[in-house]
Amino acid sequence: MAEQRKARQLATEAAVKVPKIARANLVATVKAKEEGKKVAYAFIDSGQEEIMRAMDIVPAWVESFSGICSAKRDAEKYLQKAEADNLSRSLCTYATCNLGFDMWRQELEGEMPPGAPWGGLGKPDMIIGSGQQLCDPRFKWPQATQFYLRDVPMFLAGLYYPPWDPTLDEKEFKEQEKIYVNYTAAEYREQVRFCEKYTGKKMDWDRFEQIVDLTDRTWDLFVDTYELRKAVPTPMDTGDAMNTMVPFAFNLATQEAYDFYLALNAELKQKIAEGKGVAEHETYRLVWGAGLPSWFALSDFQYFNDKGAVFPVEITYRNAEKIERLELPKTSDPIEHCAWRRVKFWTHWYEKARKRPGSLPKVERIIEYLEGYGCVGVVFHSAFSCRSWHAGIVQQAQVLRKMYGDIPVLIMEGDIVDISAYNEVDTHNRIDAFIETLEARRIQKRP
Amino acid sequence: MTEQNGSALALAEKYYTQYGLRARELKAAGRKIIGYLTAMGPVEILTAAGVVPFRLKGNVAEAITRGDAYMETIVCPFVRSVFDAAVKGKFDFLDGLILPHQCDSIDRTSDIWNYDLTLPYFHFLNVPHMTDDPSFEFMKEILRIFISSLEKVTGANITSEALAGAIQAHNDNRRLIRELYALRKSNPPLISGTEMMKVLVAIMSLPVDESSALVESVIRDVKQREVAGNGRRQRIMLIGDQIDDVAVTEIIEAAGAWLVMDDISIGAKMHWADADASAEPVHAIAERILRKLKLPTLAESGTTYNESVDSRFGHLRRHIDEFNVDGVIHIVYKYCDPYGFEVPALKNFIESNGTPVLYLEDEYSTSALGRVKTRIEAFLEMIA
Repeated sequence: MAEQRKARQLATEAAVKVPKIARANLVATVKAKEEGKKVAYAFIDSGQEEIMRAMDIVPAWVESFSGICSAKRDAEKYLQKAEADNLSRSLCTYATCNLGFDMWRQELEGEMPPGAPWGGLGKPDMIIGSGQQLCDPRFKWPQATQFYLRDVPMFLAGLYYPPWDPTLDEKEFKEQEKIYVNYTAAEYREQVRFCEKYTGKKMDWDRFEQIVDLTDRTWDLFVDTYELRKAVPTPMDTGDAMNTMVPFAFNLATQEAYDFYLALNAELKQKIAEGKGVAEHETYRLVWGAGLPSWFALSDFQYFNDKGAVFPVEITYRNAEKIERLELPKTSDPIEHCAWRRVKFWTHWYEKARKRPGSLPKVERIIEYLEGYGCVGVVFHSAFSCRSWHAGIVQQAQVLRKMYGDIPVLIMEGDIVDISAYNEVDTHNRIDAFIETLEARRIQKRP
Repeated sequence: MTEQNGSALALAEKYYTQYGLRARELKAAGRKIIGYLTAMGPVEILTAAGVVPFRLKGNVAEAITRGDAYMETIVCPFVRSVFDAAVKGKFDFLDGLILPHQCDSIDRTSDIWNYDLTLPYFHFLNVPHMTDDPSFEFMKEILRIFISSLEKVTGANITSEALAGAIQAHNDNRRLIRELYALRKSNPPLISGTEMMKVLVAIMSLPVDESSALVESVIRDVKQREVAGNGRRQRIMLIGDQIDDVAVTEIIEAAGAWLVMDDISIGAKMHWADADASAEPVHAIAERILRKLKLPTLAESGTTYNESVDSRFGHLRRHIDEFNVDGVIHIVYKYCDPYGFEVPALKNFIESNGTPVLYLEDEYSTSALGRVKTRIEAFLEMIA
């Protein structure tokens, strides 16, 4: 039984509209069969959606579904189901939540499990995952899903970016970067072949090119819009960004996503003009450094806001950069363009890290945000079930302090889906202590 | 190679107990020692460069006391234990370290290894997870990058001839190890699981020629043993990743079973796959790592479950048949996504053929051994 609780107070109108979009994404997967479309289990931040959209494949975003189960505090029944089949609680809980759901549906011979949030997730015709630098569950979760959905074909693309190596000179790095781009492009082409095979359709390359262009424009608009949050007071913080990321993460390569950010852009400009901020008295501006949030405890952002702390910027879900800043080589091949865009997004902080010996690209990104958004501290969230975002946080904090100065850092602990790892009282106590530190620093700095 | 005043197994025990002893001696004699983590270590390339490949291990009996200051507890306990040993200076003889991208716990901590250990040489080998053709071409590219990086640091010219020679030497080494494994097929096995564990650990700290000499000597010694007809016990296979301590093997054998086979990453997983000596060397090494090592961090694409399951787990069934296995103990370390997500499928695959499986989630630590012992004893009783 989902626990009833008061919803987080959202600062923007745009964020209020997001549940409708997320719900519509789920409904689309259930209705796809009626519309003669194929459904693919899909994973965010792999850059694979443009091919899917161009081929009319409906993405069923598995992480989104688990996040929704978590936000509704209704994931436990799926986690237990997975655990009963020997899937450890220490594994990625996005995955185990979704696998528990799949197991249940199979037991019901394909019927939707009763009470599935927002009507549940449609059964996939294929799985499109990736073995990539983002995380192991990208390819292990699809394999595990296939154990329960045995007739569903799976495609996995290898999508990597060059590792950080401060000993390389510019020329050596560029040569390596090109190898990664070629590999990524080859894997996207493999995906096209897979999708053609299982949809029975040929790729419409003109349409694909238009979709890639729309995605580029959405990247630009998304970054422009989020940079409006540099304003003081900030018109939107990470609490809302954990909602407004939905069209970018799950509706990218659609006009709907572009239009969403147009509306958000206009709304933020209006708020700035009116001097409306997130907090009643904005006192501390913070970077949400890394880590996925506890979806069942988004009200913690409100707790920060109530204490005058706002997050005008975050690392999490901000996987876009202005296209011109990425300095992508010119190419007439849209697949190659997508490959460059993906690789350069991850490597474009390397140059800054090279210029500050002893630094790291991940730390340079935090410094860029600290300076660009006028922030005075960094908050990380360490989720126990996810190594991808959450291993290496301690080092980022240490290197940040070494490279940038003694800046206040809070590392919160919990999980993304598993509420049993969360302690609200303890979390709020830690936030209180952190705010006290920020306040002491503020007083010290007064002239 | 045998120790003058003792048997080959005694020498293996010495290198097992004093892990790194021989590497220290070789270092003192002027050899370069480069450490590597996991079965994906490109040992042939290291050997061709004239350096000693040294596989890192942690210590299950030692609490992590310094590593946690750098590395989160959500990281694989094996990786944390090795890092803890490294920051405590236990591998201070290393001239460098190679970290193959086997899993998130390695990838996401690579900056920590590089930054905080301050070794003279560090290389992250970005092994892909896919085995398709583009991934294979990419794998060859990253091996070439590694070769060029190693040439720079060692001053060696790693020629095709040197690589071919190293491939031959490592293939010979694996053939000998498989010969030793074959001595476990009899009833009772000629070498116990605990003795085998000590040999497997000892040789991963030795240059390939010394490793082969030691294994040859162990084979010679073991073959001289008389087979005692003392009845039939349960024949057990152990599956897992880096299980590199006798703590578990001793529990299995003390409970009255014979540990006759494994699919662990310091054992059969690593030694059943040869590089093709007739192929171009980089191609052969890439093929061995990416397409022949049966690690859960490598995946085929474009398949349905039924199409992929035999290539993922088929070798386990062959081991079970060949070594006449009665039961499987599958140990997965906590926080391990690659192994953890395989448990239902792997268990089902083996059990569907009539072989019972005990799955245990464990730490890389002896602290939880009491619980493990109880579960193993109960399992052995159940299948008796």
